[in-house]
Amino acid sequence: MKGKNLSVAQLLYKYRQLLILAALCIFFAAALPGMFFTMSNFRSILYSMSLYGLMICGATFPVLLGGIDRTVGAVAALSGAICCMIIVNSGYTNQGVVLGILAGVGVGMLSGIIHGVIVAHFDIPAFLLTLATSQVIYGLVQVTTGKELIVVMKPALFTDIGAKRILEIPVPVYVLLICFIVAYFLLNHSTYGRRIYSVGGNREASKLSGINVKRTTITAYMMSGMMAAIAGIVLSSMNQQALSYAADGYENDVLAAIVVGGVSLRGGAGTLQGAIFGSLLIGMLNNGLRLMGVESIYHNFIKGIIIIAAVAADMYSSYQMSGLKHRGGKKHPHKQAAGENQ
Amino acid sequence: MMHNPENLVEMRGIDKRFAHVYALKSVDFEIRRGEVHSLLGENGAGKSTLIKVLTGVYPKDGGEIYFDGKPVEINSRDDAFNLGIACIFQELSLVPTLTVAQNIMLGKEKAKLGVLQKKSMNREVSELIKRFDFPLRAEDVVETLSVAQRQMVEILKALSTNASLIIMDEPTASLSSKESEMLFRIIGQLREKGVSILYISHRLEEVFQLSDRITVLRDGQLVGVVPKEEIVPADVIRMMIGKELSEATASRPLKVSDAHTVLQVRNLTRLGSFEDVSFEVKAGEVLVLAGLVGSGRTEVLRSVYGADPIDSGTVLFEGKPYRHSVSTAIRLGFGLIPEDRRTQGFAPLLSGTRNVAVTNYDKLSRLGVVNAKKEKQLGETMVKLVDLRPANPTVPVGNLSGGNQQKVVLGKWLTRDLKVILIDEPTVGIDVGAKDEIYNFIEQLAARGVAVLLVSSDVAEVLRVATRILVMRNGKVVHEFNDGVVTQENILLVSSGMAEDHRTEAKE
Repeated sequence: MKGKNLSVAQLLYKYRQLLILAALCIFFAAALPGMFFTMSNFRSILYSMSLYGLMICGATFPVLLGGIDRTVGAVAALSGAICCMIIVNSGYTNQGVVLGILAGVGVGMLSGIIHGVIVAHFDIPAFLLTLATSQVIYGLVQVTTGKELIVVMKPALFTDIGAKRILEIPVPVYVLLICFIVAYFLLNHSTYGRRIYSVGGNREASKLSGINVKRTTITAYMMSGMMAAIAGIVLSSMNQQALSYAADGYENDVLAAIVVGGVSLRGGAGTLQGAIFGSLLIGMLNNGLRLMGVESIYHNFIKGIIIIAAVAADMYSSYQMSGLKHRGGKKHPHKQAAGENQ
Repeated sequence: MMHNPENLVEMRGIDKRFAHVYALKSVDFEIRRGEVHSLLGENGAGKSTLIKVLTGVYPKDGGEIYFDGKPVEINSRDDAFNLGIACIFQELSLVPTLTVAQNIMLGKEKAKLGVLQKKSMNREVSELIKRFDFPLRAEDVVETLSVAQRQMVEILKALSTNASLIIMDEPTASLSSKESEMLFRIIGQLREKGVSILYISHRLEEVFQLSDRITVLRDGQLVGVVPKEEIVPADVIRMMIGKELSEATASRPLKVSDAHTVLQVRNLTRLGSFEDVSFEVKAGEVLVLAGLVGSGRTEVLRSVYGADPIDSGTVLFEGKPYRHSVSTAIRLGFGLIPEDRRTQGFAPLLSGTRNVAVTNYDKLSRLGVVNAKKEKQLGETMVKLVDLRPANPTVPVGNLSGGNQQKVVLGKWLTRDLKVILIDEPTVGIDVGAKDEIYNFIEQLAARGVAVLLVSSDVAEVLRVATRILVMRNGKVVHEFNDGVVTQENILLVSSGMAEDHRTEAKE
């Protein structure tokens, strides 16, 4: 009973992401008549956000644990490069494509496992660790590719991933959909997902409840590496080439979308759907601003401000929850006491 | 009210309420110049509230404070500091990477034309150190110092601002006995130099040895002030406990159970925490580990549970050793209610259902897929079992009151096939009504045949639930009460190490 009679304010709050998205749509549609609100433009928004979305499907896992993975751009470059090299070396055969994809995804998972092991066993902040290792991985990409472009224009099995449409919708969007369903299922319907939220919500309490915190951490980074690798392969197929800096800076937009989507950087709170909404928002913003002819430097400027606002809102709401509010904060004990009397 | 010119601090009729509950009720308190004054009382008696009022952390709801004979308003820590009231916390206010001199001069550095005068600052601090003869050098970096030395730096820092009252809250909690002796010597020197000390410690022996006067609080009210000449330990303890209480719940008959042994701990040692601890817990028994904070009880509990490593000794469950890990312990039928529910007990942003389900997914899932219906049912069952309020398992546990949060932590284990439950300070910060409910749960569990091992520093609580009591001191089991009637006095005297004559079993 209690859950159903939401007030208007609560309803607005609950669907705030959809509302913001709708408002943005209306704004751009009005500002760009005949350009923004078209099928082809929406297709292109979805097409360009599919890469970010894929990375988000993985990178949300470590963020939910209170960690972070900044290597997603680098891992995408590495897996793309490895996949393309294997295809080239196989003489552009279909077996080469399958092998390349498996190897690329495998390398991404391996990278994630290594990061997870380091984060779980040593007390290194994930932010610093992954900032440093992403440089290492970029270096690795340059070494493996010999700093050269690897062009792969055949076979179709590979190029179709990035270029083909099924029912007017680009294949990368389907790839995203599948990965989203997998990640969504894991987070919402598996015991593994329950463990992620529990460890992110309180590490020590989870440990004392018998959860293997280390294993949970390692697999979370593995998921992140795997999804980044899939994104990297899709990206190289879209470009029909692999180059070392293809996905450079993607990690910023990915993490921005996750935060804008309401996933707490301190872990334990937020949803994958929220994060995907975040990426839709950023994708739509990028698209709209570009169509309006706003220079790309200002894109970053605007995105930066949005991220600050999202993080500030997140910090403020959890600060209110924490009971640390001091000045004029005497309301808090009263509120709790009132709760006791119910 | 006449002011005694000997008094440095006078607090008159201090009231402090939280919501509608009095934490302090019309408390009078005074400290003379150059005396060591101790504040005694059980947990929740109002000691720390009084200090927080004096140091400006809490605003008072009534009463006056006089400092040096003049009425003062203390609205912040800064106000207290400016009057000359300094508080020594455990290494909290020091910057570990700076030197002793830099720490002491922090915020009042000397500079000529913007250039720091390191030499002159070091000289000044060296002189201060020499004056009190502390084993320190001005150039030492704080992080290389022992806890005792850091405390000395804190004391020096207070003295460098000409503090006339230094408040020490449990200063010996993490000191060795040798270091404690050094601290006591320093306290003596400070007293000679006319500095007043407000001393708070659970260790009664120290309090009786050091204090010029003792003020005893109970339930937020002043019980009495005892000068050194009149200190009789048993009387002071009686003042702390209270007469009314002692008739109702201050004693308890104990008995040795003849049920089968569930948990057997043999010569368990974890270096630096506890040593050679042995005991048994039988089905349906509530064995309490009593003693002071820091006596190693929590550590024993965590080691038995598999959460902390052990160095030697064995733990047997129903006669057999088990793999030393939390998940194994849980599978065997162990449960833990940890010491600090906020940091160890629950995830505040998650709902009651999700928190309770964490320990139950072995029954709520198949092949790693959660059965959402069963999970939801579990949440509803939990609400009924523990009488959660509000009776809604979807509320984030962080939004519940302390007592209800603890009920959720308890709820994690109630639906499992429990054999042993380890409970650590279950009612800290919980209101009286919820306390009783928690005691009832403990009794129900014992009645079901669960072996209960409980750590508590609250003597009234110990007597409320125990069927047998072990007292730990400095990491060792020093006494067992297993027969006859035990009183709060017995336990307090043994816990604080003043009970050579009480070592025989208490019988009446």
